[in-house]
Amino acid sequence: MEEQIAELAAKLAELEAATAGAAITNTMFAETFYYLTIPLMIIIHAGFLAYEMGASRLKNVLSSGVKNILAFAFMIPTFYFFGWWIYWGLPTGITGAAGPAGISGAEYASSIAWGWGDAAQYMGPNIADQASGVFFGAFALFAATTASIMSGAVIERIQTIGFIILAIVLGSFAWVVAAAWGWHADGWLVTKFGVHDFGAAGLVHAVAGFFALGVLINLGPRIGKFNPDGSANHIAGHNMPLTVTGLMLIIVGFWGFLMACVIVPGEAWSWFPDKPSTIYGTPITLSALSFNILMAIAGGIIGSWLFTRDPFWMMSGALAGIISTASGLDIYFPALAFIIAFSAGIILKPCADWLEKRGIDDAVGAVTVHGTIGLYGVVMLGIWGAGYPALQGAAGEVPTINLMGQIIGAVVFFLLGFVPGYVVSFLLKKLGMLRIPEGAELAGMDVVKVPAEGYPEWAAAAPSSSAHPAE
Amino acid sequence: MFPYEEASWSAVDGAMFMGWGGALPGFATVIAMIICVVVLVIGQRSEAAKMKMFDK
Repeated sequence: MEEQIAELAAKLAELEAATAGAAITNTMFAETFYYLTIPLMIIIHAGFLAYEMGASRLKNVLSSGVKNILAFAFMIPTFYFFGWWIYWGLPTGITGAAGPAGISGAEYASSIAWGWGDAAQYMGPNIADQASGVFFGAFALFAATTASIMSGAVIERIQTIGFIILAIVLGSFAWVVAAAWGWHADGWLVTKFGVHDFGAAGLVHAVAGFFALGVLINLGPRIGKFNPDGSANHIAGHNMPLTVTGLMLIIVGFWGFLMACVIVPGEAWSWFPDKPSTIYGTPITLSALSFNILMAIAGGIIGSWLFTRDPFWMMSGALAGIISTASGLDIYFPALAFIIAFSAGIILKPCADWLEKRGIDDAVGAVTVHGTIGLYGVVMLGIWGAGYPALQGAAGEVPTINLMGQIIGAVVFFLLGFVPGYVVSFLLKKLGMLRIPEGAELAGMDVVKVPAEGYPEWAAAAPSSSAHPAE
Repeated sequence: MFPYEEASWSAVDGAMFMGWGGALPGFATVIAMIICVVVLVIGQRSEAAKMKMFDK
């Protein structure tokens, strides 16, 4: 009998050791999972860098790059200083009240998301906390993505510091408020209206796209973009292959972006012990993402090729394909995702043309690709996904996805982007910090701002200051 | 469009995409296939027409 008890005790000890080992492995997996999304999302920025520089004329190529790189650099510390706090502090609204899930509100945010006092233990190296840093990193990269979306639209005439201020307002404030309201499980758009935006079509893309629109209204078009009769000239970038390759890199990075929207199982902070979930606590698999992202990319490319035949718009169509389905990548059927993405690819160029006819010079189509298509994606999910519980739980206990809720979400995301973009750029314009002087614009921003040459061996032969005949 | 009788995530033990168990997935697949074929046909026609402009 004693022997049997000893044997059982030994087996129990073995089992406990194995369980502890499995828990450590799972924690390491969870940490590594989010850690790897960070370099994947940095590929988005390599893509934005390439595509913005390619879309710039030779005389502005490096200054476009400087602006983009600097925006990335300022996003990280400002998101660390206050953006992370906003995400945790404001889900229930600007009062900062605590929400039902117990992981929100000003008090909670102040206990985990400040770089001083007791909260600082979660904002730096801590052997007992293998989650905060990688979560922060993923969210900081979301923030940097919003700034890069705006960055492309305003190339070739914006002042560097004015742009960085705008980038900080967008990346460390405006979209973070949208994420707190429409992404956090305590977000009032989610708990009251059933808003579901898994892949951030609205709260990242639409917010950034319409923020850019607000800025563009005050910034004005590049010299030579529009003729006196209002008709538009096409200002070609200096390197279309670089632009298209950049767009493809953005697509690569999107796999990391969307992967970071998944909550892994088995940790104290996980929704489930045994299956991955969305940020709303609803189940999801990486296979679902694989099916739907690929079909959406394909649909967007094919749709935009049909009427444009232009590689720039085809790759923009790939982005539009993902963005138009991003809200429901967790629950779309792949063929349905393809059809929605195809329709987004078709409407993409006409929407961009419509904006251009109204005197808006969006150099890379960011307002349309991210703004218009982002809202299109949010609303599409309201049509096709109605009836799905928007949070973990059952209909009735939790709100369900519905068309009206998605429309309300779309309106809020539009306003959270457009209003700050317009107001802050208006103030910068009044302060003389928004647009570079005409002489500098005509000479080219590289010669004014950058002590280096993009293509030094071509300099003598290249039409570095000719730009467009209308200049 | 929730594919289970009870609109609850706890009822989900398998496929959870829109229209599962109904006609939508098959219908969408056929539409997607038709789109691919139609786009290729339109593409071939328009490209052939453009190439004709360069015929000597």
